[in-house]
Amino acid sequence: MTIGLRLFLSSMTFAIAIAIAYWFIAHEIAGTFLLGFMAFALSVIAGYMIVAEREADVWGDQGSANQSDAAGQIVGTYSIRSPLPIWAALAISLILLGLIVSPTMAVLGLLAVLAVSALFIVQSR
Amino acid sequence: MTAVARTAPVAATRNDLLSWITTTDHKRIGILYICTSLCYFAIAGALALAIRTQLAVPGNHLLTPHVYNELFTLHGTAMIFLFVAPFALGLANFLIPLQIGAPDMAFPRLNATSYWMFLFGGIIVFSGVATNEGAAAAGWTAYAPLSEIAVSTGLGQDLWIVGVLMVSVASILTSINFVTTVFIYRAPGMTMWRIPIFTWEMVATSLLIFMAFPPLASDLLLLFVDRRLGGHAFDPAFGGNPILYQHLFWFFGHPEVYVMILPYFGVISEIIPVFARKPIFGYTGLVLAAFAIAGLSMGVWAHHMFTTGAVNNPFFSAVSFLIAVPTGVKFFNWIATMWRGSISFKTPMLFSMGFLMNFLLGGVTGVMLASPPVDYQAHDSYFVVAHMHYVLGGGSLFAIFAGLYFWWPKMFGVMLDERLGTWSFWFLFIGFNVAFFPMHILGVEGMPRRVFTYPDTGSLPELNFIATCGAYIMLIGAILFGINVLVSALRGKPAGDDPWGANSLEWATTSPPPEYNFTSLPPIRSERPVWDMHHPEGARASR
Amino acid sequence: MHALTWPMSATSQSTLLGGDWRLLTTVGLIVAALVWGLILFAAFRWRRRDDREALPPQFRNNYPLEIAWTIVPLIIVGILFVYTYRAEAGVDAVIAHPDVTVAVHAYRWGWNFAYVGGPIVGGPSVGPVDGGAPIDAAPPPQLVLPVGETTRIELTSDDVTHGFWVPDFLFKRDAIPGMINTFDLRPDKLGTFLGRCSQFCGYDHALMTFTVRVVTPKAFAAWRNLPVPS
Repeated sequence: MTIGLRLFLSSMTFAIAIAIAYWFIAHEIAGTFLLGFMAFALSVIAGYMIVAEREADVWGDQGSANQSDAAGQIVGTYSIRSPLPIWAALAISLILLGLIVSPTMAVLGLLAVLAVSALFIVQSR
Repeated sequence: MTAVARTAPVAATRNDLLSWITTTDHKRIGILYICTSLCYFAIAGALALAIRTQLAVPGNHLLTPHVYNELFTLHGTAMIFLFVAPFALGLANFLIPLQIGAPDMAFPRLNATSYWMFLFGGIIVFSGVATNEGAAAAGWTAYAPLSEIAVSTGLGQDLWIVGVLMVSVASILTSINFVTTVFIYRAPGMTMWRIPIFTWEMVATSLLIFMAFPPLASDLLLLFVDRRLGGHAFDPAFGGNPILYQHLFWFFGHPEVYVMILPYFGVISEIIPVFARKPIFGYTGLVLAAFAIAGLSMGVWAHHMFTTGAVNNPFFSAVSFLIAVPTGVKFFNWIATMWRGSISFKTPMLFSMGFLMNFLLGGVTGVMLASPPVDYQAHDSYFVVAHMHYVLGGGSLFAIFAGLYFWWPKMFGVMLDERLGTWSFWFLFIGFNVAFFPMHILGVEGMPRRVFTYPDTGSLPELNFIATCGAYIMLIGAILFGINVLVSALRGKPAGDDPWGANSLEWATTSPPPEYNFTSLPPIRSERPVWDMHHPEGARASR
Repeated sequence: MHALTWPMSATSQSTLLGGDWRLLTTVGLIVAALVWGLILFAAFRWRRRDDREALPPQFRNNYPLEIAWTIVPLIIVGILFVYTYRAEAGVDAVIAHPDVTVAVHAYRWGWNFAYVGGPIVGGPSVGPVDGGAPIDAAPPPQLVLPVGETTRIELTSDDVTHGFWVPDFLFKRDAIPGMINTFDLRPDKLGTFLGRCSQFCGYDHALMTFTVRVVTPKAFAAWRNLPVPS
């Protein structure tokens, strides 16, 4: 079990404990719901990690490994540069400002976000 | 798109505007965050000076009440959402891949998207100034019903909601990036128990961000629905509840203050060992304390609501007292790192000392405020203003300067000037304490916060005047930093790989690092691989 | 400095409050002095005198010490919490049969005091304003209380959230629309005390003052029978 998974499992346990304690001490619904939902969210992450970890093999966890052991390994593909991030931010701004200024702007922004998202995916191939 | 092996040859880097706008390199994104947040700091600082000038004497007419309310709203919003937190995210962006021996973040394009969302979100918040009724003026906390449409009628409040929403989503995306990178991309030998304390603190901070920011987003959306789409979530006349706004806000708001301090605990934990020439004391204790603070901080939110009569005060008081313990543990670890060391007081260490001295007082007043009866007097008074500025100004801000002086050589390849740095420190340290210590007394004597003026009674006029003088002394310190930046750009001393004799992996590469960070890595057998590389006789393996 | 350790208190509950305040301030100052002392001592005693000096001892842990500095603060905050809990219970306690009951309504920007069975007094805190300074020199709305007796306050707001704060009583409570906050005041000193609005409520928040005049029970009874000027 990796440290990361242990971290999420113990956070989830703590959240469950404090949510229960809070309900029985304060009987206050908003806070209980927030703490309980936090526990649920952590459990989702922990659950995903349990499944994902079965295949994982992180070089960093090998305490006596050396740089040369991992030489030549492909760790990922990185775009050196991309215009998509600033376009994505502009598109999201359009949606949010459109909520204030005009629905047309918001719809335009939504379309722009969809277009940029599609390009993100295409660029990853 | 390039497939990249773990070590890559040095590539020539373009330096034109287009390359900065389309960058996905974590180092450049980190520098963009840092520069942008420092600009917002300058603006928020100017707002603070305007506020303090208005409050220098009672009955001052420098600012009208409405403008004053806008100013302190923008000051708080900019300092919290646009400076202290994003600076930490920027520094972490620059450092985390370097500290764990990775070529970049896990999601570089998402990383860049977060930065641009932060920049545009801040601009949207400030754009309220150009509207008819001015910018948001309901405080950085924007309590309902004050922020509802019936009372805050202008577009400025809506722009504030939308801008803060964007910055919040950007932070959530960044925190996901950080955690994934740290879990997956560590270099061979860099086990979780060997990563630098700064990186651990950023993992804890990221956990807090993705637990705390979604409730803020929902609170802001509810407020927006109330204001523009006919909702009544917080309107008692229709069965809504103003207290709900506060619960959602502070469930975010308290973890947010830990988001604004944990990274800086990390900065201090990196700097003190270097300038004391000793390893960090109690590494495991520091890590456990960070997560104890993060966990407990999710359970203290209603200590901001002790005077509402609507929450269970003893529960929140108990957890608030409890959170002082892991914070104390960290302090003792830092002192033990200095103990029997060989301490040099270069500028980063000076600012770290200032951090320790100031944050201690902020922490002590925080424990006082954990008591509801004390809070019945101190809440919404200048005592709280003093407390929060001691932890954020005396704490985070000093750690920000410490981090700037320490990592500037790595980021830009030149040293900042030591003499200017020392002068800047003393002006800031003295100015800060002159400005904010009197506010403890002002609060107890009955001066509420968020007031554009005060009566000419008791010691209010004298203490306010002294505080204003302190603010101007701080201004000199900040200007000296700006001069230092210019001087170092023009004729700064070249830095070399490791100008301080430091510990972690970022000091194993050039200053600034090449694209993809490392051409080679030393063996990693402890939490200070570069120190081990330079001191083979003392190297020992840790877990 | 007097205000930090010996806050003025004019109610019997504020004596309890003052005790809690003094305990926390004293413990806080002792802890601060100790830790500041350790920091400054370490900085001075082990300052580097020569860049060529030998490396200091490279110790990383001392488990007994680390456990001690976790347990001891835990005990200290535990004790502080118990004392605080008892003080709060005393301050928040409401008795079964108060001598007087007043419904207090906060609004932008003034205070109404409706005595149950008695007069309704109060009004705006500020006259017509120009740039925030009141033109009209009318006195702020006044709450009159009998000394030595318990007055029940039922506090609410007519619009946004406000705060009912009397610094000399060491006490405040928020005035929230749609909610009535109930608390008791038992003044034990005669005099006139300033009241402020503590929760930010917009334009004239800074000027939303009121006063609390504490008089003898006889004078209080006489005042209650006086007709309220229109």
